[in-house]
Amino acid sequence: MTSMHVENVNKSFGNNHVLKNISLSVQSGEFVSVLGPSGCGKTTLLKLIAGLEMQDSGHVYIGGACCDNVPARKRGAVIVFQDFALFPHMTVKQNIDFGLAVKKISRSERERKIMAMLDVMQISDKAEFYPRALSGGQKQRVALARACVLEPRVLLLDEPFSNLDPGLRDDMREFVSKLQRELGITTILVTHDKEEAFMLSGRVAVIIDGCLQQYDTPENIYKKPHTVLVSDFIGEANYISGMISNYHFSCALGDFDAAELVDGEAKLMLRYDQLIISNSKGMPCRIISKVYKGNVTTYRVEIEKSETLGLPEALTLKINSSDSSFEPGHKAFIRVADRAGHVLR
Amino acid sequence: MLLGPFFLIMGIIFVGGLIQALVQSLGYLPAFGMDSVSLEYYRRVLTDFRFISSLRHTFYIALTSSALSVALGVFVAFLVHKTKRSNKFSFTLLRVPIVIPHIVVIIMIFHIFFQTGILSRFAFAIGLIESAHDFPLLIFDRGGVGVIIVYLYKQIPFVMLMVISISRNIDSKYFQVAENLGASPFQIMTRITLPLLAPTILSAFLFCFAFGFGAFEVPFLLGSPARQTLPILAFIEYTSPVLDDRPAAMAINVIISVISLIMIWVYAKVLSILTKRGMEGAIV
Repeated sequence: MTSMHVENVNKSFGNNHVLKNISLSVQSGEFVSVLGPSGCGKTTLLKLIAGLEMQDSGHVYIGGACCDNVPARKRGAVIVFQDFALFPHMTVKQNIDFGLAVKKISRSERERKIMAMLDVMQISDKAEFYPRALSGGQKQRVALARACVLEPRVLLLDEPFSNLDPGLRDDMREFVSKLQRELGITTILVTHDKEEAFMLSGRVAVIIDGCLQQYDTPENIYKKPHTVLVSDFIGEANYISGMISNYHFSCALGDFDAAELVDGEAKLMLRYDQLIISNSKGMPCRIISKVYKGNVTTYRVEIEKSETLGLPEALTLKINSSDSSFEPGHKAFIRVADRAGHVLR
Repeated sequence: MLLGPFFLIMGIIFVGGLIQALVQSLGYLPAFGMDSVSLEYYRRVLTDFRFISSLRHTFYIALTSSALSVALGVFVAFLVHKTKRSNKFSFTLLRVPIVIPHIVVIIMIFHIFFQTGILSRFAFAIGLIESAHDFPLLIFDRGGVGVIIVYLYKQIPFVMLMVISISRNIDSKYFQVAENLGASPFQIMTRITLPLLAPTILSAFLFCFAFGFGAFEVPFLLGSPARQTLPILAFIEYTSPVLDDRPAAMAINVIISVISLIMIWVYAKVLSILTKRGMEGAIV
């Protein structure tokens, strides 16, 4: 198992500064996701790690050694591309064999490894098939097998699930997660799908506009984003203005801990599911609208302006609730869920 | 449906001409008082030493020129692909031979490679040879070197253009994947690029072979009088004052057509095999 580290990496294509001073460390055997919107530079970061692109400045370390001058074919950082890119003129077995054959490994050793990998990926019966005869899920298993059979130092997954049907996508996510745990390969997944990133990885690096915005656990990324930019990318939220004084944030909804922030104006971030709507407990509000979504109902509620609450204007909030019994125009009560709410600038 | 008129005209020209040749090759020329049908002229042609020798020579010229054209054309295509900076200029320069008519190329090659040509004079000027006769016979030679040089001059750029235009359609990700999996540039070329280009190379080879096999003017003007290709043999038979030679000329034409059709059949078969192996992405 091998660690991976990129240090102050910059990359531009013409006038487009794609990656801005990115630093990222991945521990041996760790599964990390690089999450960001399309075009934010995450695939470029993967190609820099693999050596398929060269950074303008900064360094890439694999296993503690700087590999800026190591060509892609000798880095041991293998990418599984979004569209799998299986060689169309080779069978499944030949595709998996490719990396072993070019390394001039003996035929018997190659045969043993290929058979083992076909077995792990559960595609032994497809060994002699050409890629065109495979389904999306099977193609992905072949692409994974082709990469894993080389026992890469770092496995790089470039949105590998985005071309799959939703049902198959969940199966393959579970399969990849299990496989990574079993093989213990240091893995970096690039995705724009937050659910996928949270589900699979121990840590998530959020990249927006070429900058690493936050590198943290999925829970902290979701509940304690460092910036409004990260918060908005991860999911919908209410922002309530207030003031920090002596490491405490005060707003219309109450007082909240702000231990790491200095005094001044700030915002309380509350995800839609961090507010609870009920008939009896909390602050009185009026239901403005209701959108039924099946497993959840999104309400838009209004808290009337109140001098005593420090609300010079009416406050509008959105709430997700499993209770769909509230109707627009009716009165209700809202409160913040236990330990919910995060103060940010 | 829209292509119907096109296929109709092409069909009339090809099938009509072939039927006419077939009928005459069987000895049926009522205008000349020949109205019996037999395979006699085929027997005569196929047992004629001149025909056997000509067939062998035609295959030699066509195979040598097409194999060399494909090998060198693919090689030049890779070079052009590598030298990206001068790509546009070299690309334009390399296309020039395609638009030059064969007859002009024949004259150029004649003036350069003949025993009294530019090369010979240059060799004489620098003292390499003492007289024009010391310069190797490259035009009108039995080995068909002059003929092959003309074909190479015209066909190498053609093959190069085909290969470059098709290789641009191959997903560059295959090359990145191959490199990422540990392949060297040479391994990428032999294991990825060339197999994916195989249908294109096969097509280019067939075009070159078909031209080399059926061309008339180049071997007629630069070939050895002692070694004639099949089209020239057919022409000589056809223009012979002996009317009895006319069906023999047609028999030779029919044999050329049959060999061409066999080539097309082989091409289709090989293409079908390549398609089954997933190489259809690069088929033209």
